[in-house]
Amino acid sequence: MENQKLTPSFTVSEAIAVINQTLDYAYPSITVEGEVSSYKVNQNKWVFFDIKDDSGTLNCFMSVYSLRTQLEDGMRVRVVAQPKIAKWGKFSLTVRTVQPTGEGSLKRAFELLRAKLEAEGLFAPERKRLLPQLPARIGVISSTTAAGYEDFKKIISDRWGGVELVVAHVQVQGESAPSQIVRALEHFNQMSEPVDVVAIIRGGGSADDLAAFNDEPLVRSIASSRIPTIVGVGHEIDVSLADMAADVRAATPSNAAQILVPDKREIIAQVRSEVKNMLGSVRMLHSRYVDALEDSRAKMLTGVTRAYEQAKDRYDMLSAVLGQLNPRTALARGYALVFDETQKLLRQPPPIGAKLSIETENAVIKVGVEDVKQKHS
Amino acid sequence: MSSKNIREKLDELSQIVASFERDDLSVEEALEQFDKGAKLSEDIEKTLGELKTKITVLRERFDRE
Repeated sequence: MENQKLTPSFTVSEAIAVINQTLDYAYPSITVEGEVSSYKVNQNKWVFFDIKDDSGTLNCFMSVYSLRTQLEDGMRVRVVAQPKIAKWGKFSLTVRTVQPTGEGSLKRAFELLRAKLEAEGLFAPERKRLLPQLPARIGVISSTTAAGYEDFKKIISDRWGGVELVVAHVQVQGESAPSQIVRALEHFNQMSEPVDVVAIIRGGGSADDLAAFNDEPLVRSIASSRIPTIVGVGHEIDVSLADMAADVRAATPSNAAQILVPDKREIIAQVRSEVKNMLGSVRMLHSRYVDALEDSRAKMLTGVTRAYEQAKDRYDMLSAVLGQLNPRTALARGYALVFDETQKLLRQPPPIGAKLSIETENAVIKVGVEDVKQKHS
Repeated sequence: MSSKNIREKLDELSQIVASFERDDLSVEEALEQFDKGAKLSEDIEKTLGELKTKITVLRERFDRE
């Protein structure tokens, strides 16, 4: 009788409800780590698998919608789940999140998801957009307490300094990180005054820490962002699916800052060099004008010289001809000129008794005509 | 000049620099363009030196389920 009082009595349904209540009270959520087996997806809606270790197995159940990674048998995972007995009596874990753990499983899940998303074209180079050259407003999704965020801020300020950083503070690792980043990205995409580009950044960490950036909904959200994205997560050697879906992949948060804004010192140097080049062009143009002027002067001088030489040559020639034509030139060769009384050159036979003058090279001789005989030619 | 942002000023400087490529540019025009460019470059340098980063951390929380 006493035993009956201590032992509660239920119908089957009541017992299931009470056990579920008790479980919910004691363990509303548990984390279990183990190896996946019997993994299957039904109707593309429901996911079933077992999680096991050396001596035990638990059934797991979840919706495809909640599955944010790719699973396969043999993969080591960590599930966050609610333990529950179904009304048909089967005990199972209703899984809220499942994450691969351990290097091998993380790598395998990464490869499976990468292959799937690659086949859908999410990483295609033709999807990539150029980032704005000089963004005025940059949306930043990061943890404001992370070292990577501090580096990013510092480099942005050092290099450029003239931007507005609109920062969404989110968790960048752990179970809720992917959802928070997705919501922050949605927020930036819905802002009435949109940012020019969104940078998703996080410093280095273990493969487990960075696993949030291989989350399928997050990767899809980055790929479908209307605002161009840059992702700088981890160290140079870390490649995440978020990196691959972004318009630009930065190796680190610092590298993201370097890609986003130019270095003002380089701009100043470039501007100075342009001014110097302009001055060079002005000088060159001026010197081209001076050269053209000197060329014209030289051509004019050549013209004048040539005209003078031509005139001189002609003068010399005419002068020589004139010299030959001078009648007095003949006197030097022994000829004489005969003039009549009027001092005109005698061209007709003179009358007898006429007075004539005979001019030789060095004398003028007065003579009288005694006889005239006609010459017959 | 100061109402333009850095990007617009840099674009303007690029246009001035490009005008030197014209074959029909006279010395007078070149000098005028050079003066404009030199003044603009000083303005750009001054503005770059005065730039300050503004940081706004959103008050929205993104951890809701």
